[in-house]
Amino acid sequence: MESTKPSRGFWVLTAILGGISVAAIVYFWTTPTVQPWLPPEGGHPGNEVDKLFRFMAASAAVLYTFVVGYIVYFAIVFRRRKSDPPDALGVHVHDNNKLETAWTILPSLFVVLLSIFSVKIWSVLYLQQPANGLVVESIAHQWGYVFRYPNVKGEIPEEMHLPVNVPVTLNLTSRDVIHSFWVPNMRLKADMIPGMVNVIKFTPTRIGRYPIICTEFCGTLHSRMNGMVSTENGAIMVVESEAAYQAWYHRTQIAQARAPSAAEATEATAIALASGSASAGKTLFSQKCSACHALGPFSQRVVGPGLMGVLHDPSHPNLVDGDPATPANVAKILQRGFTGSYGTMPNQSENALSNQDIANLVAYLNTLK
Amino acid sequence: MSVIAEHGGIAEHIHPEPQGFIRKYIFSLDHKIIGIQYLITGMVFLVLGGLLAELIRIQLMNANGGFLTPDVYDEVYSIHGSTMVWLVGIPILTGGFGNVIMPVQIGARDVAFPWLNMISFWLFPIAGLMLFSSFLMGAPVAGWTEYPPMSLQGAAGTSMWCAAIFLVGISSTLTGMNFLVTILKMRAPGMTFTRMPLFCWGQFATAPLLMIATTALAAALAALFMERQFGVPFYDPTRGGSPVMWQHMFWFYSHPAVYIMILPAFGIISEVISVFSRKPIFGYRLIAFSSAAIALAGFMVWAHHMFTSGIAPYMQLPFMILTFVIAVPTGVKIFSWMATMWGGKIHLTSAMLFTIGFLILFTFGGISGVFLAAIPFDLHVHGTYFIPAHIHYVLVGGSVMGIFAGIYYWFPKITGRQMSEFWGRVHFVLFVIGFTGTFLPMHWLGAMGMPRRVATYDPQFQTINDVMSIFSFVMTFAILIFFINVIFSIRNGKKVGHNPWGARTLEWQIPSPMPYYNFKHIPSVYGLPYDFTEPLPYAHLEEELTDSPVPVGAH
Repeated sequence: MESTKPSRGFWVLTAILGGISVAAIVYFWTTPTVQPWLPPEGGHPGNEVDKLFRFMAASAAVLYTFVVGYIVYFAIVFRRRKSDPPDALGVHVHDNNKLETAWTILPSLFVVLLSIFSVKIWSVLYLQQPANGLVVESIAHQWGYVFRYPNVKGEIPEEMHLPVNVPVTLNLTSRDVIHSFWVPNMRLKADMIPGMVNVIKFTPTRIGRYPIICTEFCGTLHSRMNGMVSTENGAIMVVESEAAYQAWYHRTQIAQARAPSAAEATEATAIALASGSASAGKTLFSQKCSACHALGPFSQRVVGPGLMGVLHDPSHPNLVDGDPATPANVAKILQRGFTGSYGTMPNQSENALSNQDIANLVAYLNTLK
Repeated sequence: MSVIAEHGGIAEHIHPEPQGFIRKYIFSLDHKIIGIQYLITGMVFLVLGGLLAELIRIQLMNANGGFLTPDVYDEVYSIHGSTMVWLVGIPILTGGFGNVIMPVQIGARDVAFPWLNMISFWLFPIAGLMLFSSFLMGAPVAGWTEYPPMSLQGAAGTSMWCAAIFLVGISSTLTGMNFLVTILKMRAPGMTFTRMPLFCWGQFATAPLLMIATTALAAALAALFMERQFGVPFYDPTRGGSPVMWQHMFWFYSHPAVYIMILPAFGIISEVISVFSRKPIFGYRLIAFSSAAIALAGFMVWAHHMFTSGIAPYMQLPFMILTFVIAVPTGVKIFSWMATMWGGKIHLTSAMLFTIGFLILFTFGGISGVFLAAIPFDLHVHGTYFIPAHIHYVLVGGSVMGIFAGIYYWFPKITGRQMSEFWGRVHFVLFVIGFTGTFLPMHWLGAMGMPRRVATYDPQFQTINDVMSIFSFVMTFAILIFFINVIFSIRNGKKVGHNPWGARTLEWQIPSPMPYYNFKHIPSVYGLPYDFTEPLPYAHLEEELTDSPVPVGAH
């Protein structure tokens, strides 16, 4: 029977593996960028995600070095040799309470540490992002993205512009199937799900052009929703200086305002909004509207969006058709109905609403704050 | 521990062996024949699924595609994934190895419900044919996960997919039930839970997963089928359905499903590593109980697949932390296997090489799983090539390596002959090289910005995809060597005795191939099967290897 004490070779190996581990820790701790492991980082809180990556990569390197090092060493050193008798046995060890306790407790402690670190970064992602800032909506469809900006009419396809160092809130949804919104450089992703609004909050800190990629399979041309900066294919997020952004914004605002929309082809009948009664509107709302609209925030969607504060919500300055949230524009939607990325709403005749009913409803909606 | 299993029914009786070809080999009630049927059918689907994988790799050799149309490409990877999970991994590891080995290892003459066992098996090839027949009517395109509303748009074959997976789900549920009752009620006298071989512990932990989790999948599939065929709105948001509900129900099944494919492999590894290290398994109790712990915890982590689906941020935290926690019992197993090798007299047979390969590759997959569990990092790599990389490291580096180890290990028990060790080593070396070259770069591709399930991609990633495809051909070549080795060895392999490896579990104490009745006399068990320095802990086995007549109808 052989000794159960580890040999000298074992300790030499342990020292070597320890050295490799220290090198890995130092590398992931001090390397100025996480390239080539991840694409160049372009914003906050993506930089926080990178910290977690460094921590996990260093820990993984240490663990894996030891596991592979020992397994290969054992397979070589403890292999059965030609000189061994055919019935030679290994050392008779089947338990070691100290060792087993150690390798249960140590990983458990690591799990606690990793949980604390991950929750910390999680809270940066979800809880510590500035509440105000630029609000942009993005709607995915088969197969592309459109973007909506405050006070810009209609939808801008395939290219979004953001000013550098300004916090952004992205409201994401889809018109048909599940898509997703991923900007690898920002380390952020959310699925774009029909009937739901998912939110990403971040602050781009580096000027550049970044691909926007769909990572949920969405049909035949899913591969086209794969932004490629190199070939200018697909959707691109352009992060630029404040001045360049403002120039783009005003240019786009004017261009979008000129573009005729289908709804404008029919002239709306003027409605005497001043004559509306909020109390009559409240009754009507429960009969005509509440099946599809909740009295909650915009994101609380039943069929259409939630309507609490529809005329007073600074984070949703626009209605679903891209027009500013004014009483007249709300009346216009009630008259014409709506068909678009947020579903379909019946028009005035389908809903059996008189002009006075519409005035009453607008008056009621105006009281919701 | 003095739990003596009750034994009754078929465990007590030896029925005469049926003689007709149909009753003996086709509609057999014998667990060993059924197990071999599972293994062969599973291997056929492994070949089909592997060919689909090669179509994927050929398509990806060009960033602009061109080999397949996007629609056909989507069908190919969807059926590849579905085949490998439901027609290869689960059937081979549960119905296959579980049937051939588990009843013998616990000292029983068959499973508890042989007729049910036969039905379980026959549902499986039927479901497989249905799944592949969906190619004729437009196969599903939304991957093996088939998220609605996309799967509501899919061609007619998507409904066939639902029906096929539902059917194979029934097969798994019945197998799980059968195995659970078998292990609970039919262990030989003295075979307590603390003396049961670890392979049986793996099956014991897997059986409730098969029974409980599969029902959630069945419900989700039935709802998807009804919505597609009859317009019942479960998932379509424009009609009041919830697409995220599918994800919850699907992953409530599919996370345990990956444990269904790894716990039996853990069992195989535990047997092989002890036998070929000529040492007792290190930390028997911890390995056994950690299997049960993994199975239990596996039910509480499903939403870690859904961190980007818009579930409330606070709801994500328990799923993240519980997923981290699973790393502890898994780590304990890895360390225990390493400690089993320490101080051993390691026979580097093909089975042992695949076991060592398992330890090295599966550990990598486990570590990338921890990366994915961390919400902030998952938000970056979810839905990218990092995911196929991880899943292939745990299911190929883990489950498939375990399957290979099991086949090299138990082949002499099933056929009485040994597979070529030389070609087994060639298979091992080429397979590990091919596997690493194919799947290791996928982690990096995903993290750098390549999404999964794309027929065309950013040209900057083309060179590395070409290299990966070439390595995948090496892997396919290795599997070809394996199949030639199997087919050649069935007839021409070296004849070996009943116990060529000097193993101590019960199946090695009876003749090879195993006789119809398994045991002439039900053995009594006095200890663990891993103490190589002790005499065998069994009684009443004296006549098993002799020519004494089979006591038909007797105990």
